[in-house]
Amino acid sequence: MTLLTVTGLTKSYAGVQAVRDLSYEIPDGSISGLIGPNGSGKSTSIDCISGFLRPDEGSWSLAGRDLTGMPAHAMALAGLTRTFQTVRAYGELSLRENLCVATQEHDGVGWWHALRGSAACREADAVARARAEELLGQIGLAAYRDAPAQVLSYGQSKLLAIAAAMMARPRLVILDEPVAGVNPTMIRQIAAIIRALNRQGVTFLIVEHNMDFIMSLCAQVIVLDAGQKIADGPADEIRRDPRVIEAYLGVADA
Amino acid sequence: MDATYVLQLLLNGLVIGVIYALIAMGLSLIFGLLGIVNFAHGEFYMLGAMLSFFTVTDLHFGYWTTILAVTLVAGAVGLLFYHLFLSSLRAADFERSILLTLGISMVLQNGGIFLWTVTPRIVPTPYSYTAVTLGDLQLPLLRLFTLGIATAAFLALYVLLSHTLVGKAMRGLSQSRDAAAMVGIDHRKVARLAVMIGIGLSGLAGATLAPVYSVQPTMGSAFVFKAFAIVIIGGLGNIAGAAIAAIMLGILESLIGGFFPLTLADSAGFIAMILVLLFKPEGLFGRGVRV
Amino acid sequence: MIVIWLVLLCVPWLTGSEYWLDTGIAIATFAVLSTGLNLIYGYAGLLSFAQVAFFGLGGYGAALLVTRLGCSFWLALPAAAVVATFAGLLIGYSSLRLSRHAFAIVSLSFALLCGIVARDWVSLTRGSMGIPGLSLPGFDAPAQMYRLTITAALIMLLGFHVLLSSRLGRALQAIKLNEPLAQSQGIDPLRYKLLAIGVSAAASGVMGALFVFHLSIVDPSVFDFYYTETMLIMVILGGAGSFWGVIGASVVFSIVPDLLRFSPDLRLVLYGLVLVAAMLLFPGGFAGLLRQRSLLRWRTRR
Repeated sequence: MTLLTVTGLTKSYAGVQAVRDLSYEIPDGSISGLIGPNGSGKSTSIDCISGFLRPDEGSWSLAGRDLTGMPAHAMALAGLTRTFQTVRAYGELSLRENLCVATQEHDGVGWWHALRGSAACREADAVARARAEELLGQIGLAAYRDAPAQVLSYGQSKLLAIAAAMMARPRLVILDEPVAGVNPTMIRQIAAIIRALNRQGVTFLIVEHNMDFIMSLCAQVIVLDAGQKIADGPADEIRRDPRVIEAYLGVADA
Repeated sequence: MDATYVLQLLLNGLVIGVIYALIAMGLSLIFGLLGIVNFAHGEFYMLGAMLSFFTVTDLHFGYWTTILAVTLVAGAVGLLFYHLFLSSLRAADFERSILLTLGISMVLQNGGIFLWTVTPRIVPTPYSYTAVTLGDLQLPLLRLFTLGIATAAFLALYVLLSHTLVGKAMRGLSQSRDAAAMVGIDHRKVARLAVMIGIGLSGLAGATLAPVYSVQPTMGSAFVFKAFAIVIIGGLGNIAGAAIAAIMLGILESLIGGFFPLTLADSAGFIAMILVLLFKPEGLFGRGVRV
Repeated sequence: MIVIWLVLLCVPWLTGSEYWLDTGIAIATFAVLSTGLNLIYGYAGLLSFAQVAFFGLGGYGAALLVTRLGCSFWLALPAAAVVATFAGLLIGYSSLRLSRHAFAIVSLSFALLCGIVARDWVSLTRGSMGIPGLSLPGFDAPAQMYRLTITAALIMLLGFHVLLSSRLGRALQAIKLNEPLAQSQGIDPLRYKLLAIGVSAAASGVMGALFVFHLSIVDPSVFDFYYTETMLIMVILGGAGSFWGVIGASVVFSIVPDLLRFSPDLRLVLYGLVLVAAMLLFPGGFAGLLRQRSLLRWRTRR
């Protein structure tokens, strides 16, 4: 069953066409990859479908629900969360608070309840804390639950970002370069965590440069070059596709 | 309602407008290149005016030499200002830069009040009471000189920005900091020059206008807030836009003030700014930095 | 909290001197104004110069309703707060759609505009002469006005505290610390920023109304930039984003002006120097310094 459908996505700015008529489908429950050389429009297309950039044309839907044109803050409620290329966390808040913030708009507790500190609110907070504890355990950072997020290392921050994206129980999580600049040990750890979370039923779309990482995790890979999709299929086929090789390395000598 | 009256208003408005333009362009230049809103900008205008007063009365410089001297001093002050305070700020420090320059403005303005009191002072010049008569129109010489000096300054700035390497660098930088860095332009040197020019223009404005109206330490604040409005109306970061918006505002204020109570004239700038923000947020002439 | 309230209520019996009562009112007023600014700047991350505008609008609003329309003060007070809130939401909504830079400048211009209008729209506001004769029946004695102000201030500070320690306060912090991240987590920045502005404006409006009735006159000086400068000093030195830091700074800096009575201009020069020093050396204020020390402790534990 298809979870995410993107149709005809087009975006140009500063006179450059960053994304051109991009269409693809992501099956439910899969881990898919979106790869391509620098400047191929990967991040732009992700910013579009997560509501941070308004595309010139195109539409996309999640589990049949049309998300086109929705603002960034409505996406999470619709079941789509993401991480960012640059590490984003609330540096001054503790790890646990970082995670609890990520779910507070989704537990149905309105402002009035929140101010009164009603029973419904306290219950929702307890549920959130429990889930945060669970996720912190999964990523191995439970010991730092009260530490301000600023103290984490680069790789640990990337883990925290993935955990935060998971808090609201999304259908689809988009990871924007989750292992860029991360050491090999941590890369393996992140891959393992993604697999574990995926087994719990969450679909992942991963934008990355790191080929080994993508090939080891993703069943399906979409390849972009100069804003257009040049390949889309199982990882093995993509690895051998001459067009893909050409896009990354130039024309290959026989 | 006769034509002479309106023409007189237009002329006065034009004079104020070009002064606004000098101040607003400096503000726009600094914002465009450093991402900093310089709250102290009006105080440099005031200091230029005060300095010209003391230069004329105590050092007995002539009209033209005073203006030249004050402008150069203002440029030097701009250099100091950049190195002491602005060089450590980055564009992301928007709030810090506002508060920092606000603090400087408080020190300068209130220090000025403390040192010189709020008594207005008149700057004497040999031209003060001379006017050129054109039909029924009275054109005070000082105001004509003001127009001339400001126009010369505009031309000089225009030449600098469009025909010199450093000027082109400035325009490039105010469009995109990253692109400029890639081409190898040293951001800091260009920014420093921009600050010197910006403050210099303020000082020039102060020295030029000083003999026309009176001079006292609070004169900067009224101007700077209008300059902010002008910069937004013209488009943040758009220098030519700021100049045009400034002149338009000067004329508008003068015309309104000639027929309606003065309040409306003073508020015109702010009301115009809010209208622009509501309906054309990138400024009347756009193209500038979309904030 | 109740204890503090009762203690503060007793002050008039202890001193009876108007000087201390005036100071107390000043402290209460600035504490609420600064905390309102703290809410907008320290928590939501929006630099705003409009607090004084809301303060003055509350004052003029109440004054006009009572003197022109013969309303009872108790009706005029909430009405004035509503006016201030409405103004805040208006300038907030129109400029926040653009950016926080635009909001900063619009808030400043709005405050200036209010002052200009108050001074020059003589038919409405009597211009520089102001609207005198504002008296509150039953609260004529300074001590009673003091108690009323203190009570109102404590109620509002309590309200602020409840808001800030709830998840709403946390959402505001999230927006300040990393807006795109907050958006990706479902937080709508505009709604929360407007909440902060609205609440702040209402509180400022209430204090404004109380203040002018305490002085028994309202005039354009209620919009003076001086109030903005003082509030900024309090928020920045106390530490933007620190509830108790800002309240502490409010107390200190409400008392300081009288100590520095030798020259009001030099006092402002001093404020300016403090602001410059703070921006260059310790932008986080007093609370920021404390936070850095606790951060150091976590870092060394790693």
